[in-house]
Amino acid sequence: MKFSDRDVDLALINGVESAEGGGVAFGNELMHFAEAMASRDDVSLVSSREVLLETAGAEALVEAAAVAANFQRMVRIADSIGIPLDESNVSFTADIRDQLDLGRFHSANNSGLGI
Amino acid sequence: MMAFNYGSAALPVREDLKESYREFWNTLAQAGTWWDGPERVAIAQESRNAVICELCQRRKEALSPSHVAGEHSTGALLGLPASCLSDAAIDAVHRVVTDQSRITQSYVDSLNAQGITHEQYVELVGVVVTCFSIDEFNRALGLPLEPLPLPQTGKPSGYRPALLDKDVGFVPMVPPHGAINQEADLWGEVAPNVVRALSLVPDEVRSWMKVANVQYVMGDLLNFAADTGRAIDRAQMELVAGRVSAINECFY
Repeated sequence: MKFSDRDVDLALINGVESAEGGGVAFGNELMHFAEAMASRDDVSLVSSREVLLETAGAEALVEAAAVAANFQRMVRIADSIGIPLDESNVSFTADIRDQLDLGRFHSANNSGLGI
Repeated sequence: MMAFNYGSAALPVREDLKESYREFWNTLAQAGTWWDGPERVAIAQESRNAVICELCQRRKEALSPSHVAGEHSTGALLGLPASCLSDAAIDAVHRVVTDQSRITQSYVDSLNAQGITHEQYVELVGVVVTCFSIDEFNRALGLPLEPLPLPQTGKPSGYRPALLDKDVGFVPMVPPHGAINQEADLWGEVAPNVVRALSLVPDEVRSWMKVANVQYVMGDLLNFAADTGRAIDRAQMELVAGRVSAINECFY
């Protein structure tokens, strides 16, 4: 995926480590921290938090925690109310949805795309 | 001591994060639109009980949540006072926290027969998700959860927006062109479905948006090159957001 002026490896979203962080600074460390937090794996959360703190610094750790916390909320709003994908996003996200195989999720039933 | 002090955390938690969390805590304690203060704080308590609920864990692992009977971990089972919420409300809170991707239109409609209106469901979701996101911030940083606020007295306002549509989702929402008059502050020219989702109870949109604006960058969502003004850039934010959403199996 082209992200501004650089290529980003979307495999990170599905939990696959990528060489040099997949084009994102501290990409692997951020991915492991987000994964441990959302999956409620307390052991991994402690270790991934320490790694992120050591590599990216305390401010980055706090910001990553804030973004992760935000999306723990956003996914629950979307699924609890069953909202479909916004029409304006359907075409430009098609490629990303395919790459990430999002149709496998239960909540794809609410997508409005007939999945 | 002031709530969300973070004095012992030794981490650089921004002041605007602290302030938004305090503001939500204040709102949480007061009568809302369809639930009173004690009920709203009880809903927040249930959002905490849900993450250690054995029934929720067994349901999550089952092919269908309806295949698993039992009692949610709450009240006396956890050594806490009995909840003032009905069993149906407790179940709804636990589902929103632990099994949200399997909530359906028929489940939300079935709540009506158990005394929970669509309006009450929307406010319940709003309280749960905002409290949960604040708790999750602390948990991510290895910090203890903030004690819940003392409930305040007062009656719910019963406010309902004048313009509502049932075009998408499980409940009525303010239509994209309906952010006018008392709802004029809810959104601008563009009304993403996730912002409209809780608009049957406009104050719940306002509450979560205030927190979202400081946890994330809710402004120009499609401008990936914009300076976030934070210690991580937009690509880093989207990576964290994407991984959290994938773990939660969220299509949206």
